[in-house]
Amino acid sequence: MAVMRSAGRSRLQAHTTMASLARSDQREEGDHVDENKGGERRSYRLTRRQFLAASSAAAAIAACGPAATPSSAGAATATGAATASPGPALKIGMLLPFTKVYAELGNSMQRATKLYLKQKGEKLANRPVTVIYEDEANDPVVGTQKTQKFIEQDRVDVMMGIVATPIAYAVRNAIDAAKLVFIETNAGGNALTRTTTDCKPSCKSKYIFRTSFSSYQISYPIGEYFATKKGVKEVFTFVSDYGFGNESAADFTSGFTKGGGKVTGGLKAPLPTADFLPFVTQLKAQPTKDIYSFFSGTDAIGYIRAWNQLGMPAAGYKMNGAGFLTEQDVLKEVKEQANGAVTSLFWAVTLDNAENKAFVDAYQKEYSLLPDVFAVQAWDGMQALDLALQATKGDTTNKDAFIAALESVKFKSPRGDFEFDKETHNPIQDIYIREVKVQGGQAVNTIVDKVARVTDPGK
Amino acid sequence: MTPETAVVQALNGISFGALLFILAAGLSLIFGMMDVVNLAHGAFYMLGAYITLTVVQRTGQFWLALLLAPLLIGALGLLMEPLLLRRLRGRHLDQVLLTIGVSLVIADLIGLTFGREIRSIPFPAGLDHAITIMGGDYPVYRLFVIAFGVALAVLLAIVHRRTRVGALIRAGVDDAPMLAALGVDIDRLFAVTFAVGAALAGLAGVIAAPVFGIYPGMDVDYLIYSLVVVVVGGLGTLSGAVAGSALIGPTDTFGRVLFPQFALALIFAIMAVVLLLRPTGLLGRIRIAR
Repeated sequence: MAVMRSAGRSRLQAHTTMASLARSDQREEGDHVDENKGGERRSYRLTRRQFLAASSAAAAIAACGPAATPSSAGAATATGAATASPGPALKIGMLLPFTKVYAELGNSMQRATKLYLKQKGEKLANRPVTVIYEDEANDPVVGTQKTQKFIEQDRVDVMMGIVATPIAYAVRNAIDAAKLVFIETNAGGNALTRTTTDCKPSCKSKYIFRTSFSSYQISYPIGEYFATKKGVKEVFTFVSDYGFGNESAADFTSGFTKGGGKVTGGLKAPLPTADFLPFVTQLKAQPTKDIYSFFSGTDAIGYIRAWNQLGMPAAGYKMNGAGFLTEQDVLKEVKEQANGAVTSLFWAVTLDNAENKAFVDAYQKEYSLLPDVFAVQAWDGMQALDLALQATKGDTTNKDAFIAALESVKFKSPRGDFEFDKETHNPIQDIYIREVKVQGGQAVNTIVDKVARVTDPGK
Repeated sequence: MTPETAVVQALNGISFGALLFILAAGLSLIFGMMDVVNLAHGAFYMLGAYITLTVVQRTGQFWLALLLAPLLIGALGLLMEPLLLRRLRGRHLDQVLLTIGVSLVIADLIGLTFGREIRSIPFPAGLDHAITIMGGDYPVYRLFVIAFGVALAVLLAIVHRRTRVGALIRAGVDDAPMLAALGVDIDRLFAVTFAVGAALAGLAGVIAAPVFGIYPGMDVDYLIYSLVVVVVGGLGTLSGAVAGSALIGPTDTFGRVLFPQFALALIFAIMAVVLLLRPTGLLGRIRIAR
């Protein structure tokens, strides 16, 4: 299914390319109609090189609009306060989606990055920072091109970002070969920080760090928790049918079964799924009341609404899942319809600690909106980078020293204590069990329990 | 699958098909009449959904949106045909590129205006409850979608078969140059056709907004569906759009729950088989490659 979808995307990409070529033909055309015809013929014989150049140009043009920043395609040179001897400029290549369905995730991470740099006077370890934002357009092909641009053309010191797991997997080898330090700030595919056979579909690299999570971390602990602490006997799984959804179902199942529970069956929704009513109809036609689901964004909204339309709560069914099911982007649309859903994640906006309060306040003051989990992931990416740079006195050229510094950063994150697992470069973090409750007319994730210091098994 | 579940799933599938019909009717009309594959159709659909969002947020009136969105998008189509498409008449590839360009502009303007967040709107008052079907709750709005799709099909069929405009459209689909030679103002007819096609896409956007949500990227998702429907059903005929959506809607729904691994492949496989056996589509008369 994902293949079909990306085929559709790249078809559109090809059209975009041809459109941009045709446009440039027209610009040259002037009054010479005959030449324009020649131009048309040329556009049929696209070479691969022309295609790549034009499509990345088209994507860059597309990136300009939505991000609404002057820095989308170009570089935003920070003009920090002049000090006696600022170090050499630090270039960060930030690869985020600014178009398509994950655009708001990209915007959120960009906001957190900008806020962090603003607080630090646009400098990290006395090096003025230049962030180059590029749009990955939720497309592994585009993501790979932009990564090559960071490596060859921009020669960035550090690369960060990437929302979708397939893109992270697609660029893993290029990053590893270029010995470029990359801090992943969202994609949760397990394989990115694991040892796998023949590195399929991906595997860990000493140059890759992750400040978000692995699917294991947001799925296995809640499985175990359900069986051992919540006393749930049987669960039915319903996840989106792509790598991440399948991983989440598998990890939940192994945690739940290990704790003594039984998974009675499962259902998968292919992506993209426009209509969730048929799936919820199927869920209602089976007897297990506790449902574990993995969905996010549009899918989560569609799912939760269909869930209520078919009267699932009244029929005694209970919605549970990985935390993205009820994150802010979803909750603000479905509101009390998500009431009672139990999910697991490493953060919640209501989390009661000093760092989280400071972070939420600063973010709200700057942007007049609540931060989401994606902002936290990007924020922690910047914090980790900042601390590692301070440890190496701003040096990024000695890769081994820089990596060692990153491996040993420890700090208080809005999510609680943060450190990297030295083996995998995936975070060691507390996982919170949260329940959606309506408080003062607002649906919020309240913390019910916590599973301390969860780390990915690494294989 | 128990009989009860099968009935509910059939309703799900038919209501999805009804929505696809509303969307595909406009695409089919424009292609049949003007020989233009309007790839901005998905963007018109998206625009309809976002106009609905705005109207519902400002006034709370879904029904106002149902009236306003097709009118506004129809007006946009009425402007777009003479200003842009007419210059490229007969140049198929250029027209396709132009409509892609327009769709990108519309999608990005929507992104700039409304932001890139996922939005949703509640069901309109009066249709926001559930009724009991087969011993379980079923949302009334889905039944409304079916009724609306059927009513629209009947209305379009009457216009198509019984009115002068319908006669002109049928004649135009068969042979537009001959129609022009007979003294019909083909420019005006094309502009109106394009406007009506665009308005139908907008209408589909309004109807779909409470069910399928409003998000960046919805234009491409549904453009692909509507292309499949018109290719399977047959380009350029109303009955083709009906047949295509009646086949694709339920097939997609049952396919997704019964064979989730092959769901999207299933409708494309149907498309491939139909094209092999009947290159004009199930009820079409126009060859696709000409």
